[in-house]
Amino acid sequence: MNKRRLNPKQVPDPDEPLWRSTLRVAMPLNLSYIPIGLACGILLHAAGFNTLLTGLVSILIFSGGAQFLIATMLTINSPLLSIVLMLFFLELRYALLSSSLSPYLKGQSNRFLFFFAVSLNDENYAINYLKFATDKKWTGKEALMVEHYSLLFWALSNLIGSLIGSALKIDLGIVNFALTALFLYMIVMQIKNRLTLLICVIAGLLAALCMMIVKSTLGLVISTIIASLIGFALESTLRKYLPESHWLWKLRSPGAKKSAVEGSDGK
Amino acid sequence: MTTVNTWTTTQHFWLVILGFFVAFAPRFLPLMLFTKREIPEWFNEWMKYVPVSLFTALVVKDIFIDSATYQVMFTQIPEMLASVIVIVVAYRTRSMAISVIVGLLGVFLLSLAL
Repeated sequence: MNKRRLNPKQVPDPDEPLWRSTLRVAMPLNLSYIPIGLACGILLHAAGFNTLLTGLVSILIFSGGAQFLIATMLTINSPLLSIVLMLFFLELRYALLSSSLSPYLKGQSNRFLFFFAVSLNDENYAINYLKFATDKKWTGKEALMVEHYSLLFWALSNLIGSLIGSALKIDLGIVNFALTALFLYMIVMQIKNRLTLLICVIAGLLAALCMMIVKSTLGLVISTIIASLIGFALESTLRKYLPESHWLWKLRSPGAKKSAVEGSDGK
Repeated sequence: MTTVNTWTTTQHFWLVILGFFVAFAPRFLPLMLFTKREIPEWFNEWMKYVPVSLFTALVVKDIFIDSATYQVMFTQIPEMLASVIVIVVAYRTRSMAISVIVGLLGVFLLSLAL
């Protein structure tokens, strides 16, 4: 890891306008939003949402998970209060995500933070967190642009999905898997050492256990808090008493981009 | 596809508005608070493990948890196999778009075959 391979694609072009360089960062996400957004629009249409409201929900809530949840709960005729409550627990995780981004957004105005918070979601969080951690030149402005690009692609895909919803018949279970694949990708990108891998396994087991006990997606919130605390406790204990422990060894990945590997070296 | 829900558009509208507030508050309040004052170091160290724990929980929910009964199920064989494929592809290519597309193709072909 001492000698970094320079990938020609990674060399930033100083003349490239900002809107293009941020679009390049956001593009893989934008593209993967198209099938998910289409699916979400189709689902919302099936749940009785009209096209205008589908656009509104994609902009105001902007969360694949929440919109899929709305669609599912509407088709089983859940009462308004219980849908909102479920949404609340589902969205509670963003408190953790936005806290973890806050060190990088110090000194920004409340107005900026408002717009940043409105268009924050799981996927653009993952991109921005990685960029903030690895790219010194990455600021709130670029991060907000990535968020807006993803919002644009998301809202448009939802609208189109809603429009073709009545015309097309597809297996929604399969389309739903796009979201799962996206999360799997992000897990793989997060795993930097053996300890993270262990936490991953613990988090999975805890999630199943918590959801069986709580019988709602609140179990996801509980298991996330417990698993991340276990990771935090294990890492600080290992660093204190066993700094040479093989659990802290880095995992190498073929085709790893420079940016993806660099992050944890600093501290 | 037939509409099974009996809600009116006004009800949908209020759902979206209420949903906005419960979605916005947890995204905004921590940002507001923690960009103004110092976050304790231990909090940052803890937050490092949040994304991986959360994403794993979401994947487990999608693949192994029955959304109606909240019981563990091992019946979604195409999804389970496709997940393994996605992990391998993500690990080797590090590309989000390729991972998602291969995953979708995989689950589609596997559910045809199985």
